[in-house]
Amino acid sequence: MKGRWIGSPGLATVFVVTLGLGGCGWASLPSGATSQAELMHRDWTVFTIAGLCVFAIVGGLIVGSPFVWRRRGEALPPQFRRNVPIEIITTVIPLIMIALLFVLTYRVESVVERLSPSPSTIVDVVGFRWSWRFQYSGTSVQVIGTPKQPPEMVIPLGRTTRINLESADVNHAFWVPGFLFKRDAIPGVHNSFDWHPDHLGVFVGRCAEFCGLEHAFMTFAVRVVPPDEFERWLRQHETRPTAYRQGPR
Amino acid sequence: MSGVSTRDLPVPALARTGLLSWIATTDHKRIGIMYMVTAFAFFFVAGIMAMLIRAQLAQPNQSIVTSHTYSQLFTLHGTAMIFFFVVPFAFGLANFLVPLQIGAPDMAFPRLNAFTYWIFLLGALTVMSGAATNGGAAASGWFAYVPLSGIKISSGLGQDFWILGILMASISSILTSINLITTVFIYRAPGMTMWRIPIFTWEMVATALLVLMAFPALTADLGMLLIDRRFGGHFFDPAAGGSAVLYQHLFWFFGHPEVYIMILPYFGVVTEIVSTFSRKPVFGYVGMVLAAFAIAGLSMGVWAHHMFTTGAVSDPFFSAVSFLIAVPTGIKFFNWIGTMWRGSISLTTPMLFAVGFLLNFLNGGITGVMVASPPIDFHAEDSYFLVSHFHYVIGGGSLFAIFAALFFWFPKIFGVKLNEYWGKVCFAFEFIGFNLTFFPMYFLGVMGMPRRVYTYPNLPGWGSLNALATLGAAIMAVGVIIFVVNVIVSAIRRAPVPDDPWGGFTLEWATTSPPPAHNFDRLPPIRSERPVFDLRQSDLGSQRKR
Repeated sequence: MKGRWIGSPGLATVFVVTLGLGGCGWASLPSGATSQAELMHRDWTVFTIAGLCVFAIVGGLIVGSPFVWRRRGEALPPQFRRNVPIEIITTVIPLIMIALLFVLTYRVESVVERLSPSPSTIVDVVGFRWSWRFQYSGTSVQVIGTPKQPPEMVIPLGRTTRINLESADVNHAFWVPGFLFKRDAIPGVHNSFDWHPDHLGVFVGRCAEFCGLEHAFMTFAVRVVPPDEFERWLRQHETRPTAYRQGPR
Repeated sequence: MSGVSTRDLPVPALARTGLLSWIATTDHKRIGIMYMVTAFAFFFVAGIMAMLIRAQLAQPNQSIVTSHTYSQLFTLHGTAMIFFFVVPFAFGLANFLVPLQIGAPDMAFPRLNAFTYWIFLLGALTVMSGAATNGGAAASGWFAYVPLSGIKISSGLGQDFWILGILMASISSILTSINLITTVFIYRAPGMTMWRIPIFTWEMVATALLVLMAFPALTADLGMLLIDRRFGGHFFDPAAGGSAVLYQHLFWFFGHPEVYIMILPYFGVVTEIVSTFSRKPVFGYVGMVLAAFAIAGLSMGVWAHHMFTTGAVSDPFFSAVSFLIAVPTGIKFFNWIGTMWRGSISLTTPMLFAVGFLLNFLNGGITGVMVASPPIDFHAEDSYFLVSHFHYVIGGGSLFAIFAALFFWFPKIFGVKLNEYWGKVCFAFEFIGFNLTFFPMYFLGVMGMPRRVYTYPNLPGWGSLNALATLGAAIMAVGVIIFVVNVIVSAIRRAPVPDDPWGGFTLEWATTSPPPAHNFDRLPPIRSERPVFDLRQSDLGSQRKR
C-alpha cells in the first residue's frame, strides 16, 4: 500500500524521540537557588519521571496497537465490549498515582507559601509599565528601573527575604526562573512571599504577565551576596536614595 | 408511510438553488457545512497570524513586526483559533452529524439553528474588523485581563469590537447547545434509546451542557467589562472598590470548561474513528459516556488553577480537583486502547490522524497534570512551557481530530473521497511539524522564556530552539497547503464513492452520500449502538443462507 512508511514506523520514531527528549527537557530546568526552589525542583523531578513513565506505557500501547493488531484479512476480530476487572484496575491505578502526586504537591506548597515570622530583610516591590521599583523596608534605599536599565535587587545569602508585591497600573508577574518562582502583581492585591537563597549569584528576572508594549523588556536581576556584603551595600546606598544599575535582560 | 413527506414541503422558489438557497437555508446539513467552511477560513487567518508570530520569533532581537502589531497578532490568533475555529467547527460537525446519527430529519429548531450561524459569523467579523479601527484590533490577549483591557490603557474601539464579537459568538454557542440537547432528547428515531446513541453524539450532549453552564459566566464578565469601559462602571476597578481578580474568577469559570468544550467533541470524533478502523465496538461504552460527564462536571470546579500565581487561591482544593480530571481522562485512554486491542486495524488517513491525536493529547495531558501542581505551576505559569502544554491539547489534540473528522466524513458530506496517499503525506507534515514546533517550547519555558514577548535576548539555546519551532510551523503550513490541494483535486476528479466507504457503524452511513434533504428514505432497525454494523452482518447472513 502506498504511503505505508508514514504509518507505524513514523509514529514510533516520533514517540521514541519525544520520550528521549523529555529527559533532556528536565535537564534544562534551573536547579533552584533558594531552599523553597530546591523543594519545588524535587516536585519537578518526580512529576517528570512519573510523566515519562506514563507516556512510555500508554504511548507505547497507542503506537504499538495499530502495528500488532493490523488488519490481516476479511475475518472480523472478536467483538468484545467490556472487561470489568481491567476497567476497574485502569481507574484505580491513576487514582493512586494522583493521590501520591497530590501529597507531594500539598507538602511542598505549604512550605513555599509559608511566611517567616521574622524575615531579616523586607523589600517592597512595585511593578509598573514597564519596570520595577524595589524599596528596602525600614531604609531609604530604593532602586527604580526602566525598560532600558533594568533594576537589580541585592539580597543576603542564607537569610530570609520577604517580598511584598504590588502593582501600580496593570497586572504583572514577578518571575525569577532561577528560583523556579513567580507571583502576580495585581492592582488592589497585596502579595507576600519569602525567599531563602542558598546559592550566590546573579539571577535574571522577567515580567511574565502580558502588560503592554514593552512587556518583553520588563526585566530585572536578583543578586545574592554574603550577608556582610549585603549590609555594606545597604549602608552605601542609604546615602544615595535612587540607584540605577544595568542588570542583564 | 402516511401523510406528507418532508420532500414535498413547499420551498420558496428563490431559495431552491444558488447562493440564496444557502443564505435562506434551515437544513442542518447545509448549516453544518457553512459552520465548518467558515471555521476553516478562520483557521487559515489565525494560521497566517501564527506564521507571522513564528517569523518574528525565529531569531533573537528581530523586528519584523512592531510590538503593537505583535500584541494584536497573538490576541487575534488565540481568539480566532478558540472562538471561531475549534468550537464552531465542532458545532458545525455536530449540526451535520447529530441528526443523522440519531435518525432525525433535522435539528429541533431549524430557524434558531440558522440564526446561531449568522450571529456567529457576525461576531467573528466584528472582532476581526477591529483591525480597521483607529488604534487597531484588540491587543490585550485572548483572556483580556483588566486593567490592561480597561478604557485607560486600551482606549481604542478595537477592544470594544472584540467584546461585542465574543458576546455574539457566545450567545450563538448557548443557543446551539439548547438546540442540540433538545434534538438529542426529543428527536431520536424509534429504537434509538439513550444508551444506543453514538459516542460522538454523547460527547456533544456533554459539551452542550457544559456550554450552558460556562458561557453565561463569560457573557456576564464581558458585559461587566463593557459597562466598565463605556458606561462608567467600576466592577473591576480596585480604586473604586471593584476587584481585578473578580474578572479572572469569572473568566476562568468559563475558561476552563471552555477547554473541555474544545476537546470533548473531538474525543467523540476519535472514538468513532478508532472503533470503525479497528472493526470493533467501542470498548467500555458506558465508561466512555460516564467519563465524559465526569470530566464535564469536574471541569466546573477547577477554574482557579489558572490563578495559582495570583496568590488569591492557595486552597489545595483546586489542585486536587484538577488532578482528579486525570482519572476519567485515563479511562478514556484505556478505552481507546481497549477498542484497538485485538482489533483488525487499518491505518487509513483518518485513523492516522486519530492516533496522532492520542499521542499528542497524551503529551499535553501529562504536562497538564504537572501544571495543576502549584509548586510546578509557580515556574511554568505564563511561560512557554504553558504555551506548549495547551497547544498540545488544542493543536495536537483538537486540530488533529478535526483533520481526522474531515478525512473520515468528507465522503458523507460531499460525496467525494479525499486522496488517501496525499492525506497520509499531509499527516506526516502535520505530525512532524507540530512536534517540532511545540516540543522545543517546553525547553524554552523551563529555561525562563515568558509568553507574549515580541522579542527575546540572545541567550544560550534560545535562538536555536526558537528557530526549530519556526521551522516546524513552516512544515505544518506546507501540510495545510497539501490538504487544500488534496480537497481541490479530489473535488475536480470526483471519483465515484460508495455511501459507506469505510465500513462505518453508525446511522449516518445508512443513507446516501451526500444525504438527501430529508436525511433517510428508510431507517434500518436500531437494536444496538451500531445499527449499520448489525444491518451489514444480517445482510451477510442472509446471503450465506441463499
